[in-house]
Amino acid sequence: MRLTEEEQLMLNGERGPSVQKAMEIQVQLGEIYGAECMIPVKSAHMPGASIVVAGDGALKFIEEMGNHCEKFAAFTTLNTGAVDMDRPEEVGFSEEAVKKQQRLTCAYEKMGAIACHTCTPYFIGHVPKKGEHLAWGESSAIAFVNSVLGARTNREGGPAALAAAITGRVPAYGYHLDENRKGNFIINVRCELSDVSDFGSLGYWVGKRVESGVPVFTGIPADTDLDQLKMLSAALASSGSVALFHVVGLTPEAPTLEAAMGGNKAVEVYEFTKKEMDEANRQLNKHSGQPVSLVALGCPHSSLREIIRIAELLKDKKVKAHFWVLTSQPIKHLAERSGYAQIIEAAGAKLVVDTCTVLGEMAEPMRRTGMTAMATNSAKLAHYAPGQWNIPTYYGTTEQCVNAALKGVFENDQH
Amino acid sequence: MISIKSHVVIGSKNGGKIKGKALVTTEPICFLGGVDVKTGNITEKGHPLLGQCIKDVVLVFPTGKGSTGGSYLIYDTVCNGNGPLCMLNLKIEQVTVVGCIMGEVPLLDKPDQDVTRIIKTGDTVEVDLDSSVISVFQ
Repeated sequence: MRLTEEEQLMLNGERGPSVQKAMEIQVQLGEIYGAECMIPVKSAHMPGASIVVAGDGALKFIEEMGNHCEKFAAFTTLNTGAVDMDRPEEVGFSEEAVKKQQRLTCAYEKMGAIACHTCTPYFIGHVPKKGEHLAWGESSAIAFVNSVLGARTNREGGPAALAAAITGRVPAYGYHLDENRKGNFIINVRCELSDVSDFGSLGYWVGKRVESGVPVFTGIPADTDLDQLKMLSAALASSGSVALFHVVGLTPEAPTLEAAMGGNKAVEVYEFTKKEMDEANRQLNKHSGQPVSLVALGCPHSSLREIIRIAELLKDKKVKAHFWVLTSQPIKHLAERSGYAQIIEAAGAKLVVDTCTVLGEMAEPMRRTGMTAMATNSAKLAHYAPGQWNIPTYYGTTEQCVNAALKGVFENDQH
Repeated sequence: MISIKSHVVIGSKNGGKIKGKALVTTEPICFLGGVDVKTGNITEKGHPLLGQCIKDVVLVFPTGKGSTGGSYLIYDTVCNGNGPLCMLNLKIEQVTVVGCIMGEVPLLDKPDQDVTRIIKTGDTVEVDLDSSVISVFQ
């Protein structure tokens, strides 16, 4: 790899042991992937910000890096953590989990990270623009910023994002380069997509088939909104490891099918009809006829608009199950200021911040909620929850999930 | 004995040979929610290796998938003494690569035959990190 004078000094240890270790990881990665040089990054978004991901070994590594590093070179936000920092006890997190999470959060903050603890930093001001090079983690956010915003990041794992934040650089390979951003699968969508969960089902079905490919979608309406694209991003990155997709006529690198494919021939062309949609829904709906003890919406973290929709569905009603609306601190603040949070809480549901039911330390809250079954409108959550927390999961539209909370049972007939 | 030529992505400091029992799947592995770091057991519902343990095996799978939290989970699995001896992939992806760099787990890719189909769980496998040759004893 060709390094600048400064990068060579970093690698030689002239900028301290943490910068050196970070550069070593990056040069090794760069050499594995055939990168010719490093490129500066505009920002980082740090995965491994929850103690569920960063266990004892990782925590020690991160603290050690912080002990020998003054400040991150790149603007850095933190991904979702393991507990609700606002009211951990009320939500049901253990004191031990809170303490451990605080220690991890502090280790990152010491290096200058912004502890927003959200998987949708692009809803709260960390908004990359087209062509910017980034070092982002959080699979759903990676797919979103690459595809919907046209920024450029690889799928950075925790240590790689940490290294990039410290050095302010990434090795130039993968999605940073034009030639790797072209489509290589075509998905013709031939059915109606309306609720956010329809986009999750689409992403789940496609992710399974294209794995780490770059799917190009046709037939997705041009008025599709960011909430729907968020769900598509999250699902594609759960069942597969999609980091970039294009939607013809909608995303910035896909004015036409030809432009999105960039001369590539499709490895495979898929038709996505009602039949495929039903197939995805069946696979995600790992139900077992039990009452629902927890409804979780907001995976990835809810936008204000999604919260407004949930508030409208819950107005003047009472839920029978535990009901978490997952979001970030700033969005919760706005929901409180505009009165929607009060509507949701009056119905017995909770706005839960900083965490989620994938990255949260859920053992204690699950025990408290009875652990019978969970319902969600998120394909990502329905994919992960059964393995992560050993809990049966119902999957359906936002409305089906709200109804499940109101009745205490999930009704499956609408899908 | 079957001999497969491969490519060393991450070797070990001393090179040499690794010998152990294979644990094989044709399905990608996700390390977040898919593997328990405290035991090394695979926990992803519906995964063909559900309930199997990755500790001290030659882990053969096509590629990594899912959450970018995975790197630290590989590292933690190794720190807890539950890591595999070595990983063989058809195609590497970055989350697994970084986890293996951190945990110092040797990783090979680009085999000249499909190792996820030729090698069977329980086969004895010897991986030569100097010559990149995988020997399979069935």
